Amino acid sequence: MTQLRNPAAHHPTSTVRPPDFDAFWAEIMATAERIPLNPAIEPLAWRSTEAVDVFEIGYDSLDGVRIAGWYCVPRQIQPPYPGLLLVPGYISEPTLPKSWAKQGYAAVGVAPRGKLRSNRQYNPGYPGLLVDSIVDRNTYAYRGFYVDATRAVDFLLSRPEVDPTRIGVHGSSQGGALTLTTAALRADAITCGAAGAPYLCGFMDAAGLTHSYPYEEINEYLRLYPDREQAVRETLNYFDGINFAPLIRCPMQINLGLRDDVCPPETGFAMYDALTCPKVLHTYEGCAHDAGSYWEAAHVDAFLAQHLQPAAALVRA
Amino acid sequence: MSAAFDAFWDDVDAELARVPMAAEMQPLPMRSTEAATTYSVRLTSIGPYRTFGYYSVPNVPPPVPGLLLTPRYGSVNHVPDYMDRERYAVLQVVHRGQRLADQPFAAAYPGLLTLGIDAPETYIYRAIVADCLRAAEFLLSRVEVDVSRVGVQGDDLALITAARRSGFRAVQVSDLLLHRLLESSRRSDAYPAEELNDYLRANPQSRQSVADTLAYFDPIHHAPRVHSTTLVTMSDDQLEPLRAAIGGPTEKYTLSHHGAVDHDWVDGWLARQLGAQPRSRFRAPV
Repeated sequence: MTQLRNPAAHHPTSTVRPPDFDAFWAEIMATAERIPLNPAIEPLAWRSTEAVDVFEIGYDSLDGVRIAGWYCVPRQIQPPYPGLLLVPGYISEPTLPKSWAKQGYAAVGVAPRGKLRSNRQYNPGYPGLLVDSIVDRNTYAYRGFYVDATRAVDFLLSRPEVDPTRIGVHGSSQGGALTLTTAALRADAITCGAAGAPYLCGFMDAAGLTHSYPYEEINEYLRLYPDREQAVRETLNYFDGINFAPLIRCPMQINLGLRDDVCPPETGFAMYDALTCPKVLHTYEGCAHDAGSYWEAAHVDAFLAQHLQPAAALVRA
Repeated sequence: MSAAFDAFWDDVDAELARVPMAAEMQPLPMRSTEAATTYSVRLTSIGPYRTFGYYSVPNVPPPVPGLLLTPRYGSVNHVPDYMDRERYAVLQVVHRGQRLADQPFAAAYPGLLTLGIDAPETYIYRAIVADCLRAAEFLLSRVEVDVSRVGVQGDDLALITAARRSGFRAVQVSDLLLHRLLESSRRSDAYPAEELNDYLRANPQSRQSVADTLAYFDPIHHAPRVHSTTLVTMSDDQLEPLRAAIGGPTEKYTLSHHGAVDHDWVDGWLARQLGAQPRSRFRAPV
């Protein structure tokens, strides 16, 4: 007999923060900082409109991997613009963020390594990414993946039309995870973050609570290689959103579906508990991995506008 | 629709019939469990082009109900869900251009939606539909499948597949993309519909030819040939004309936008149609 759960009331976590967690990431970020960004930006006239200019962008990241993205800038609003980084889900393609540019943001939709257009040098596949080199924190897939997202912040900061004091980050699922990690690793630069149904929090607890992909990749891996569980746990502790949460200083807005089978809400609550920054939580009964997006979208718009003050928001005010 | 419509799709069927399926199954121990064995499947479709699928069979005495999952719009399709693998002989189609079927053709996103759209003969969806039809033929040919209990689930491709291949007891469609695409793209700047707007801004002279092409792929023109029991999930009444056009019995489910509630309702409907047990994905670990 299976029991329904009460994730808000009961969400223990087995995630442990390694003593050298901060040093581990400080070294990685220092390595990344020594790599020239080499940003490229190419106009994409046929996807541009009267309201928005669209560009294909590229930049260098860790291990010499070239990262692609889309960049959209308002045409009918004068700069400077707040910058907004949109980070993708696990199987999603990166957003081409025209609608955000229409709202007054200089917006980047990034394709971290392995995504289409960023997979020439690294391509673990889907399924595959979550468990690629999962027994070694120094080569685990998300080491470079997390850094790729932070480098998009550097891209925004390199743009003269972007106000460097107003940079936000937003995404759901894996995008929610990248929102957390980017806000943590670039706490110096991020003004606010909105994370929906965050993935990559409490990895091992999540895998124990669901058979849905992508976490099922971990269950599959450990069914074949049960002797590697301890090594997997040790690696994942270095990549867990719960351990990044205390590093975040900017305001954060989180939304969770209380019946999310993809990213179990227990892990979202555990991450939320670990946030020490100003924070807001919206939970949705009866919602799964949609995490109430039907209603939450307006809350995200308002939250980002409040903190980033795009010109469209100023006009409305 | 016109005689040209019927001739066009009859040609697709005929072209597909000339290409041997050449099915190739390979067990995938990583994706298999005590409850089900999962395989990679390679099938040849028109072109000829080698497509991919994940096929999983419950580890119980046959026959078992079958379920065809048509591909989503995007580069990746998941392995079928664990709960479905326990109940159905389930085939997730991966069409040409998507990951695992992206050699030699890799689809671009954005880009796929307008590829070859100036004529129905060159539109990429002609081949994508053929890929789904081939997969349907594979599933319906499997000895372990109870051919009286086979369903198909997905977007427009599910409805078109059910229209072109008899043998499905139940059809469940949601998240339609190709239905009234020209109209929906006028109301939205969100991708993938915005791909069409981009294309027509750059190629304004193509508006009529694009409209003509899309008419061949709008599921409403295929709907009269669907005689299976069909569930249409919808947010509002905009899909009522499509539902009315379906040739067989229909039901509708109006989305609550509470994803777990909606999932469980649809899962229960399909399970009842196919003689399986409803399952919720949000449960404590067994």
